[in-house]
Amino acid sequence: MEIQTRREGSCRVVQISGSADINSSAALRETLLGAVEGGDTHIVCDLGETDFICSDALGVLITAYLKARGRGGFLHLASPRDHLAEILETTRLDRLFSIYPDVHAALSSC
Amino acid sequence: MPDAVRQTDDADGWVCKDLPTDLGAVRETEREVLARLRTLGYDDDQLFAVRLALEEALVNAMKHGNRLDPDLSVRVAYLATAERVEIRVADQGPGFKPDRVPDPTADENLERPCGRGIMLMRCYMDEVAFSESGNEVAMVKYR
Repeated sequence: MEIQTRREGSCRVVQISGSADINSSAALRETLLGAVEGGDTHIVCDLGETDFICSDALGVLITAYLKARGRGGFLHLASPRDHLAEILETTRLDRLFSIYPDVHAALSSC
Repeated sequence: MPDAVRQTDDADGWVCKDLPTDLGAVRETEREVLARLRTLGYDDDQLFAVRLALEEALVNAMKHGNRLDPDLSVRVAYLATAERVEIRVADQGPGFKPDRVPDPTADENLERPCGRGIMLMRCYMDEVAFSESGNEVAMVKYR
């Protein structure tokens, strides 16, 4: 998994490429929680290049979402590919997260 | 402490491996199983489903079953044919009652960061059964 972050206006875009599995969820946790604790509470996770996600990584997204929300911010998801979109639907996390077809749409909603 | 992976293959085609309780062993096991399924013609959706279920089963066994105790091991056995793949994962922990795991899709549980592994295994495999003690899971995916 590779994580790249960039600033887009008031938002922090976190692009997650490859597999968000048990061996990479610690890095994801460090990036997302580090961003929130560092004051970046408006976060868009770009899942367009994410080909796999396990329940542990889903838990990281939830934890970061809750921390961002607790500080008055948000964590949105953007451009999940078919398999990830299906997992989000199956777990009903599509009810928790705001999910956008692409990063631009997510940023436009901010 | 268990050594590195030990593997035995039996005449019926089952491959059996004893993994150390080391989360780093998960990815390599997935790669091996998926490589075998690719040669048998499984498609991307099936490979994704098996990878997800195997990941959840192995992580559950190591984290929740063996509680990351490096002195314990996890046994994974699989039988891959052109018709189906059967996978069994057993840990050396005290076991648990799968039916007592809260439904992670219930509204009141959506914000819980954990507890989705078993549900994902059941959704992505065609058959999932736990032993009575709860420390072994058997899963089947039909091609």
